[in-house]
Amino acid sequence: MAVEADSRDRFGIGYRPELLAGILANLDRLDIVEAVADDFLDHGMHLRALRTLAGQVPLTLHGVSLGLAGACPVEAKRLEAFARWVDFVRPESWTEHLAFVRAGGIEIGHLAAPPRRPATVESAARNVARAARVIGAMPCLENVATLIDPPCSTMSETQWVGDVLRATGAPLLLDLHNLHANAHNFAFDARTYLESLPLHTARYVHIAGGRRVSLGNTGRVRIIDDHLHEAPAAVFELLAVVAERTSQSLTVILERDGKYPDFRVLLDELDRARTAVAVGRGRRVPTSRGVAA
Amino acid sequence: MSDAKLEAVLARLYTDAAFREAFLAHPADTARAAGLQARDVDELARIDREGLELAARSYAHKRSSKTRTAPATALPSSAFGRWWAALRGLW
Repeated sequence: MAVEADSRDRFGIGYRPELLAGILANLDRLDIVEAVADDFLDHGMHLRALRTLAGQVPLTLHGVSLGLAGACPVEAKRLEAFARWVDFVRPESWTEHLAFVRAGGIEIGHLAAPPRRPATVESAARNVARAARVIGAMPCLENVATLIDPPCSTMSETQWVGDVLRATGAPLLLDLHNLHANAHNFAFDARTYLESLPLHTARYVHIAGGRRVSLGNTGRVRIIDDHLHEAPAAVFELLAVVAERTSQSLTVILERDGKYPDFRVLLDELDRARTAVAVGRGRRVPTSRGVAA
Repeated sequence: MSDAKLEAVLARLYTDAAFREAFLAHPADTARAAGLQARDVDELARIDREGLELAARSYAHKRSSKTRTAPATALPSSAFGRWWAALRGLW
């Protein structure tokens, strides 16, 4: 029996300047484009380019530097800048990570997983509510990859992410390579993790690849989520599981941040994602009230 | 407040090699001197050392990549550029 993704499911790619020609030449194969929203957007040329792109294809803005899961309030000027970008580009949605990126006057330079405990659930909820007010829409919140188990945590990752989603009412951007990397690095089962998450809130899904690094001469290996490699088979298997266990439409976005292959290779990866979602949807059992997993 | 202080210490551990070295040599003393509560001092002393080193290297790489890949339209780090950035920050 042939399997097909739900016609409402969408598949797209992260915009990077190096991929622009491929994106524009293949708009018939892309349902959506995700653009990273970072400080450089304040230079008008980039904003105008994104607004033009948003006129061609549905676009979502992906924040990387607000630090919504930090213990301190997000700086007002960052939220106001993000609100200006949203007003100008008019994306269909915006997303951010459940991470802190600065503290005590120090810029970490990337996403750091906060200590997972009730107090950080509360601070994340306050930050998300304030961001939603300033920007005018609730963000989708993404689970992050981490190379260090966040020190001083008292909650599991699923418990913490689930509590933040419940406290904020925000939808989930489920990054499957982040999940795959964390599951490997901290020895938990990714499928069990999925069972514990409120998957009905998942609206977007990220897929990406990474690399394995050895920890000195210990024989142990950790996975770095570098977005420089093809998504591994495990990510597509998890994608099928998510498609099986959800009834809402999903938007799957491929992230690639360098070592760019021919654009056809990326389109092939998206086709693998379509197949994985179709396989998952095909596993769902028809009932008199619709389809159940 | 204690969570903000803890995140500030983590940010230093992730970005400041000298502080990280001092911490790894004397974790509890360094964490206590940074003003952390006893509960967090004990927890931090049990930090995943391999993960910490790996994360610190990864963050350093990200910071240097961002510097290298700043858009062509970004202002140079000249005195004028810093003045303009400060002015924009006020605005």
